[in-house]
Amino acid sequence: MMKSIRASGAAALLALSTLGPAHAQETLKIGQIEAQTGPLATYGWINHQGAALAVDEINRAGGFEVAGKKYNLQLVAPDNRGNPQEALIQLKQLLERDRVKFVFGPFLSNVFNGVEPYASQNNGKFLLMGGATSMHAAAGQAGKDYVVRTWNWDGGEGGFGSAMVAYLKQQGAKKVAMLMQNDAAGKVLVDTYTQIFKQHGIELQVEMFEPGTKDFTAVLAKLAQGKPDYLFPGYVDAVLHDIVRQATETQLFTRFFLVRGSLAPGLKNKDQIQDYIVYTPKYFEEAEKTEAKTKAFVTAYKNFYKRDFPYDVAPLCSSACYDHVYMLVDAMKRAGTVDDVAKVKAALTSTPYKGVWNIGYTGSEAVFGFDVVHMKKGGAIKVTSVDPLKR
Amino acid sequence: MSQVIVGQLLNGVIVGTLYGIIALGVTLTFAITGIVNFALGAFMMLGAYGTWYLAAEHGLPYPLAVLVATLGTAVLGLVADRALFRYTRNDLINGLLVSIGLIAVLDNVVLMIFTATPQALDPPLTGSIGFLGVFLPKMKVVVCLLLILTVAGTWLALQRTWMGRAAFSYAQSAEGAKLMGVRTELLQSGVFVYSTALAGLGGGFYASLYSIDPTIGNLYVLKAVEAAILAGIGSIPGALAGGIILGAMESIGALYFPLSFRDAYGLVLLVLILLLRPSGLFAAQR
Amino acid sequence: MTRPRLLTVAAIAVAVMLPLVVKSDLTLTILVFSFLLAMLAVSFNLIFGFTGQLSMFHAAAYGIGAYATHIGMRDLGLAFWPAVGFAMALVTVLSAIIGTICFRFRLKAFYFAVVTLAFAEMARLVAANWHGVTNGTLGLTLTAKPSIGWPGHAIAIDNTLAWYYLSLTALAMTIVVCSRCVHSWMGRCFVAIRLNDALGDALGIDIFRYKLLSFCIANAIAAIAGALYAHFLGYVDPSFLSVDQSLAIVAMVLLGGKGRVAAPVVGAIFLTLLPHLIHFNAEVRAIIYGSILILVILLLPKGIVGTAAEWSRRRHA
Repeated sequence: MMKSIRASGAAALLALSTLGPAHAQETLKIGQIEAQTGPLATYGWINHQGAALAVDEINRAGGFEVAGKKYNLQLVAPDNRGNPQEALIQLKQLLERDRVKFVFGPFLSNVFNGVEPYASQNNGKFLLMGGATSMHAAAGQAGKDYVVRTWNWDGGEGGFGSAMVAYLKQQGAKKVAMLMQNDAAGKVLVDTYTQIFKQHGIELQVEMFEPGTKDFTAVLAKLAQGKPDYLFPGYVDAVLHDIVRQATETQLFTRFFLVRGSLAPGLKNKDQIQDYIVYTPKYFEEAEKTEAKTKAFVTAYKNFYKRDFPYDVAPLCSSACYDHVYMLVDAMKRAGTVDDVAKVKAALTSTPYKGVWNIGYTGSEAVFGFDVVHMKKGGAIKVTSVDPLKR
Repeated sequence: MSQVIVGQLLNGVIVGTLYGIIALGVTLTFAITGIVNFALGAFMMLGAYGTWYLAAEHGLPYPLAVLVATLGTAVLGLVADRALFRYTRNDLINGLLVSIGLIAVLDNVVLMIFTATPQALDPPLTGSIGFLGVFLPKMKVVVCLLLILTVAGTWLALQRTWMGRAAFSYAQSAEGAKLMGVRTELLQSGVFVYSTALAGLGGGFYASLYSIDPTIGNLYVLKAVEAAILAGIGSIPGALAGGIILGAMESIGALYFPLSFRDAYGLVLLVLILLLRPSGLFAAQR
Repeated sequence: MTRPRLLTVAAIAVAVMLPLVVKSDLTLTILVFSFLLAMLAVSFNLIFGFTGQLSMFHAAAYGIGAYATHIGMRDLGLAFWPAVGFAMALVTVLSAIIGTICFRFRLKAFYFAVVTLAFAEMARLVAANWHGVTNGTLGLTLTAKPSIGWPGHAIAIDNTLAWYYLSLTALAMTIVVCSRCVHSWMGRCFVAIRLNDALGDALGIDIFRYKLLSFCIANAIAAIAGALYAHFLGYVDPSFLSVDQSLAIVAMVLLGGKGRVAAPVVGAIFLTLLPHLIHFNAEVRAIIYGSILILVILLLPKGIVGTAAEWSRRRHA
């Protein structure tokens, strides 16, 4: 009998020792709702790539510790293809089945519009951190504490739109022709920039086109009749490639101003273009050489995904992507909780972060440093870095 | 001002020939196999991707890339015909629905392999020609001429070759043709495959003019069907003319009306034609 | 009661009792979407399966119903159900106009499809560009909720369970209405039109009137489905009126079976559930979807229900 008491005592001790907090590691699930495939998928695709990379790095470093407990991360990222109905069902799954409290995304405005009613019903139970243009109106509003907008806002005083248009004015522009997609994001851009251009005293003429248009010759001719100084075209590289090519082929426009999209369309037509000014969250080609963290990110990406670094879409990782996973983990550590959503949000939005980007928050909306890339005829590039946080 | 109109008219004609080549495929398929093959848009997309893949990723000279891509598309067309469309001859609704299912499959296979990110071919011919006060990209002019040649070639072939005569006789009377010894199955397959080849060729040319993504076929085939109906099913020069009329109308319309409604003009015209002259503008029979 | 009717009633009974067993809000949400889409499919079957006309306007009726209900509440100050009535009336008038144009000109099957497609596209372009009224492609957020009952004792339909029963009831009523139509003199005219409208005409049936009737009834029901769907989702945008949506409806009817009133429900539930049963990525799902469509047409022309009915008939023969 003594032997069995000793045996069970030893067994109990053994069992207890394995329960020590130093050895237990819980898995914390975080979610991401983006369109990873489909015609508007460039944003969602890179956001998923960056986030997954960050999650992997954090886990391989042993996870992280919050209030004495160790955690590693699991990213649950279904693909909604840009369909609001699917996104709604996926968000419900994340909140109800996976009991996720922190969700990254969406970047697409129509997706946010579709999940907004359900998300608002669950206000206080989770955070939705995404870059959608239509999230701007909701950020900071009563009853919408779940909204954290992770992208620069064009408008307003601290907005980058104003900085861009001011730069344009310095170049002597007096009249600009805007050619934008007729969809959710395009409409918001038109509304926002109409105001900004008015504030800076530049005349603006606007034309909108149906998504899917490939031949812009007619509308370019129409806009050219007004003799504008610059063309301000649509927001996705696909469309920009065609617009810039056709504008230069027909010799209707030689100067371009962009607040979305990359430098690539400009480079392709560099001998026919006078000026190509584009807002880029980060001009990776140069930043890779001068910034240590950017270099590390590019190298890590190439090693993890075993493919070339996507320079053209990488700037879009400035929203709900790599840096933001790290920021969330930091915020949880500082708030001392992985459950108290309000505390985590307060910690997240009150402390600036220096990662690949230099990110801070005003209210519930992010502000980060960006580059103005100005390409001149022949391909000479001048990069001006703007950091709204250095005030 | 009139320069702008002339310029847009010319551009519309060029864009219209692209509609026209697909419209030709649509009208041939309908006349001989009795279905409207919406998947021709997907075949066009395959031709475009094939050309881009061979030229941009493997460095093949552009004309060769177009040729190989067109042949490849034709082979796929043959497979589709033997496996699927053989069973939907003269069954408009089933043919339509099978072609739509096929579009979903083809679009998504390409999407999986190449992702939704649009791809662009460096134009094989750069620069523009000044003509009547406007600048027309050289590539567009060349494509337009080549497509017109293709349509003319098709028309000639139909007049002179066995398959052409067989097609005419079949169009006049299916039973009569059979009785005269025309191998109708072969004819139908042949026409179907030729239509997919035309679509592939159109796609190859498209790739030199615009960026491509897996969904380009869908809008084009709708325009092509409009053009084919406009012209009247069964008329070959009519298909080209229908495409050109549609293209020109859209370009001129875009000058004066909001671009967002550009697709609507074609629709309005289509409805009017169908109501007032259902056999189309150029049809031989009434 | 005939066997098909018995089966339908049994299925509805199961559906009524399902929430007692299934507590997941997620599953019930998917089912609500399925029931409302099934309403669309069943009503489409009236014009397509029974009258034999391939209308591509159905999704447009559905979308217009959603928008018009909201506009009725927002701009005309109507309550929810009167606004739905307004939407139904609007869609019926539009259907009558379009139907008159098409049928008066005796458009044959394929051209009818193309013209209805053209009108649907025009409606979609209007919705996408009439920024003042529809907010264009940004869509409208719909916060209104319907309520059942009379003033003072109304139950608000604002949680998933309530929506579940509302949509189930709406679907059941749709099946009853369509069944009544099909098994009446009107229904026999529809079938005559589908089988051989020239002959029907020669026999003295006013094919114009019955085609128009079938078209208007189908679209009116679609409008109600649209109003409910949009207010459940909380959002409407011009994609509701797209060709893709119309094609999805056709697929549901073909999959379920186009010869029977309630068969499309099977197709609707299957196709709505499918993305959530198969956890492949989006492209593979779409490929499977397309392949199913092709296979159904080539191998199962009577749809799931039709083929099942044939098997059982053969076994009992």
